[in-house]
Amino acid sequence: MPHFTNKKLILLLVGTIFLVALISFSLRDRQNASVPEQFIKDTVGFAQSIVAKPANYITGIFNDINSLLNTYEENKRLKMRLEDFAVLQAEVNTLQSENESLKELVDKEDSLKDFDPLKATVIARNPDQWEEKIILNKGSSHGVKLNMAVMTANGLIGKISLVTPFTSEVELLYSNNPNYRVSAIVQGEKSDVFGLIEGYDTERNELILKRIDSSFKVKKGEQVVTSGLGGIYPKGILIGEVTEVTTDDYGLTSMAYVKPATNFSMLEDVVIALRTSISVDGSDGTGTNADLTNGSDESETTDTIEGEE
Amino acid sequence: MIRFLIPFVAVVLFLLEPEFALFSPISWGEHTLTLVPRFVILYLIFISIYYSKKRACLYGLIFGLLYDVFYIDIIGLYSFLYPLLCFVAGSTVKFIHQNLSITTILSVVLVALMEVFLYYFFNFIQFTTIPVSDFLSNRLLPTIIANLLFLIMLGWAFKYLINARLLQRARDNS
Repeated sequence: MPHFTNKKLILLLVGTIFLVALISFSLRDRQNASVPEQFIKDTVGFAQSIVAKPANYITGIFNDINSLLNTYEENKRLKMRLEDFAVLQAEVNTLQSENESLKELVDKEDSLKDFDPLKATVIARNPDQWEEKIILNKGSSHGVKLNMAVMTANGLIGKISLVTPFTSEVELLYSNNPNYRVSAIVQGEKSDVFGLIEGYDTERNELILKRIDSSFKVKKGEQVVTSGLGGIYPKGILIGEVTEVTTDDYGLTSMAYVKPATNFSMLEDVVIALRTSISVDGSDGTGTNADLTNGSDESETTDTIEGEE
Repeated sequence: MIRFLIPFVAVVLFLLEPEFALFSPISWGEHTLTLVPRFVILYLIFISIYYSKKRACLYGLIFGLLYDVFYIDIIGLYSFLYPLLCFVAGSTVKFIHQNLSITTILSVVLVALMEVFLYYFFNFIQFTTIPVSDFLSNRLLPTIIANLLFLIMLGWAFKYLINARLLQRARDNS
């Protein structure tokens, strides 16, 4: 080729190598952002949050119209449930006071259930939706840390996957990440059944609850909540409802399809849950066998020492 | 004034993309359709064809980099694809008549090609496991239709803006 000179060829080659190196370098460590990345993220995030306000307002109007159209149906349904609700409320009150007095009796202070809620607004969703990710307007300067649980009023939606000073990214439950597991409980009539939320079914658009002990019976319509045993999420956040139960690939354990309680398409206001009881950092997805619990203990003690100085 | 309007529109479109993405995915009967807004690159392709290839490639690099850092966390993906698309679009000017409808179709075809490339890339690094047929029917087709609608509504406005800028530049030079 006469017009394709050596110089251009070398430039093209170097460019390709540089590009591949850049892509693989940034793929390797996606949990942390470097300083220039943080700067860009915060700047764009600031502009984005300005645009998000009127946009959220407009989508709010659409939602209002939509719910106005369904008012009659909804009202009928709600009236039916209202009678049950009063009975339930009284029961909850007595149980709560009983629980508190019992806790005092045994000196049990922290519970896996406790968390400090932090309200945040969704400012953007990853526009090419290959990864299900949303971006919130609260960051490390507000106390957000990696791996915190994120939920709406309806239920769990995901966990924090990256933090910059003023924004944070949430990896939604709809993720293909094989290391993304949520320890969950199916609330049965007699006893609770443990399982792990692992991945989701793209065709059914439902989460998959795996590793359920097959000696326990899980029924359709039972509710699935977080167990708090994974070390990240607080206990008792609603995930969804069982829609179908089948056996696992190898027939040793059963597995259930779970329809999430939250609608993932229109997320606006979310709550970040900061677990008050001790939490492990949960980054052992790569199987390093590192001692996560003691590691976080150490960092906490060093934090307090720094604080005293 | 018009001089700064061209990059300003690109910034606004860049910020609007994720807001439109909040509407997706849409359930349509049994299917879940994913619409991917690609406003910025469509606008940049218009700039590349009607205004300046070099300028479009530069904007493509900047907005691609912003996109990579803010949303994808893989640097080098969009910051390579955006300028490449602008370059290809700008190179077709010699062979294809610059009619508005032809430009619209060309832009949508280029975006569709980018979408296919991205599918194979994300499939390769195992971010997605959906089969090709699902990708074509639930993702590519709705995306093409949505972006085509966007261009039919706003393509003339892009052309009008760019022409105004060209006129102004001609006046300044004379």
